Amino acid sequence: MNQPRNASPEQENSLRRLVEECFRREAGSSISIPGDNVDLIESGILDSMGWVSFLRTVESASGAADLGSILNDRAASFSAVLAALRDCNFPAPAVRRDAPPQLVSKSFSPAVITGTSAALGSRLLPSEEVDRAFGMPVGKLRDRAGIESLAYAADGETELTLGARAAQEALRAAACGAHQLDCIIASSETHHDYPSLSAQLHSHLLLREDCAALDVGGACLGLLNALAVAQALVASGQAQLVAVITADVHSRTLTPGRVDGEFGGLFGDGASAFLLCRPGGHVSEGYGLGGFLFGCAGQYAAAIRVRAAKAGGLDVTFDGEALSRAAITRMEKVLAAVELRSGISRSSVGAFATHQPNPRLVALLAKQYGVSPAKFPPIARTAGNLGSSTCGAALHQALQIASKLPPPARQPIFLASLGPGLLFGGGWLTSHT
Amino acid sequence: MSKLLITEITRMGPAFCVIGLQHENEKIRSIRPVPSFSNGWPLFPHHRGDILECALTPFSGPKPHVEDRVSTRGFTRISTVPEPETVLYLRKSELAHSLPDLFGCSIHENKKGSGLYAHPREARRSICGCETQNLRLELCANELRATLALPSGEVLRDLPVVDRDWRDFIDAALAEGRGANRTARLERFLNSHFHYKIMSCPHHFVRIGLTRPFHDLCWLMLDTLFPLPKQEWLQEF
Repeated sequence: MNQPRNASPEQENSLRRLVEECFRREAGSSISIPGDNVDLIESGILDSMGWVSFLRTVESASGAADLGSILNDRAASFSAVLAALRDCNFPAPAVRRDAPPQLVSKSFSPAVITGTSAALGSRLLPSEEVDRAFGMPVGKLRDRAGIESLAYAADGETELTLGARAAQEALRAAACGAHQLDCIIASSETHHDYPSLSAQLHSHLLLREDCAALDVGGACLGLLNALAVAQALVASGQAQLVAVITADVHSRTLTPGRVDGEFGGLFGDGASAFLLCRPGGHVSEGYGLGGFLFGCAGQYAAAIRVRAAKAGGLDVTFDGEALSRAAITRMEKVLAAVELRSGISRSSVGAFATHQPNPRLVALLAKQYGVSPAKFPPIARTAGNLGSSTCGAALHQALQIASKLPPPARQPIFLASLGPGLLFGGGWLTSHT
Repeated sequence: MSKLLITEITRMGPAFCVIGLQHENEKIRSIRPVPSFSNGWPLFPHHRGDILECALTPFSGPKPHVEDRVSTRGFTRISTVPEPETVLYLRKSELAHSLPDLFGCSIHENKKGSGLYAHPREARRSICGCETQNLRLELCANELRATLALPSGEVLRDLPVVDRDWRDFIDAALAEGRGANRTARLERFLNSHFHYKIMSCPHHFVRIGLTRPFHDLCWLMLDTLFPLPKQEWLQEF
């Protein structure tokens, strides 16, 4: 068997564990792990579809793209897959699956979250009132989607004011001044004006003129996209302190008469903000961003589409059933990939800050994934689907709960979200001490 | 006796699966002649575009392979139609623009890895044609796979390519007598010339099929890709 280039025995073990875990997922746990040189197709252990499916799982779990091409002209064996991963310089996970939380917390963290906040629309409406406004049977949102109330923006509240409020509270929580920010990254699925949201926030927060302002899209996936960009900026040294801000006001866009209640009734208004910096210095503890994975499952592209129509209308395609199925399947897949890539078992995760299309789907996801629904901060139940800010509000709540625990007891947090396309993304955070 | 315009010849393990078009009551529909002893033909010496005369039982197969008809006699070739005309007829038979329309049911993604499947009880047919916005063939760990975008914008990934002519072309491209770096050369062709030849062809068309139920699931595969490959393309890489 080929020996890895500069791979420690621990890295080699991690690599093997990852491949074995992917194999078990494909072949089933009842099939014993074959010898390294056994050809999985010729021996009949996997058929050609199972072989490719297994490789795609390895690609997703390892982040090693295009294994399929590397494995052309090679046998369909474990040794070939392991060698190809080494050829890709696959970085073995730094975290051990069986590691206790205090060890997990020492995993890599090029960017640490030092301050967080969430702001909800200040007009809280019982979901029955929204049912009535959309002309739906009263109780439909509560009974079918599990939504009890919705947070709507009050007069005077906009993406800008909600986002700015969240940012200011996050700065206060981190004891940082706005002038210390080197970059702000804004994401919103409802703000389409110019100057863009990041530019408006830049002015509103009176940031330094040389503080960069970026806008990142992705709709409900926007927070994860923005966090990944922020992490890269911090890790590369281009920025010392970055604010990620999401803000979404659906109640003025997805209105009765413009869209159906089964779609528009699910959404509320809110914002979230996160400050990220390099670990060390005055940052003694917090949560560090781990890795991210992203992709686009185009087979679901037609399940949801929103585009501007003539006369200010909205042309919405919303296949609720297909989208629900897609959301559950894909988020479960993302969480499974995050689990494999991070080496953190789902049982040792403290909270799942995921997108929440509606509370019923969150409960179903928890059931399918085999974790307690209590580990999903209940944002959509009381505030509705907040778009890019759902994940943000959930992450804020998860971090708030964790901050009350002594550092060794702080468990990892998983992120997962989706956007139309179907864009998907996931990641993880671990306690940094 | 029935007349069939042969449109599909696919490699399914050691046998060939064949589908043809039948003209009946102003409609053109797909018919899959199968031998009485199995689902595939150990030998099939005919080609796409051949019009064959054959004797078929009138009973359709179990869902979703409702196109199945047992062939009670051998095939006799009557004539041949050119490739563009074959596609013209295919466009008049089963046709879909979106994923759920392909087989009249929901299509699910493999939760474990790659691939798409339908439930046999839900699917209303096992073969359907479609136009594509884009298409890519790749060799993934020695397995030929297709990824394509439907007119609806939905993307189908990692479809096994079972088209006999395309599989034969790939085998010929990788034959030992073709010199060094065969796989790399083939990959380069698939990423460049192939794309131009396929997407610019006016009779570019694909047919997606469903496998026989396997563990109670029918998986999607690329049955046919028009234009068919030409031998002279092998000289280009």
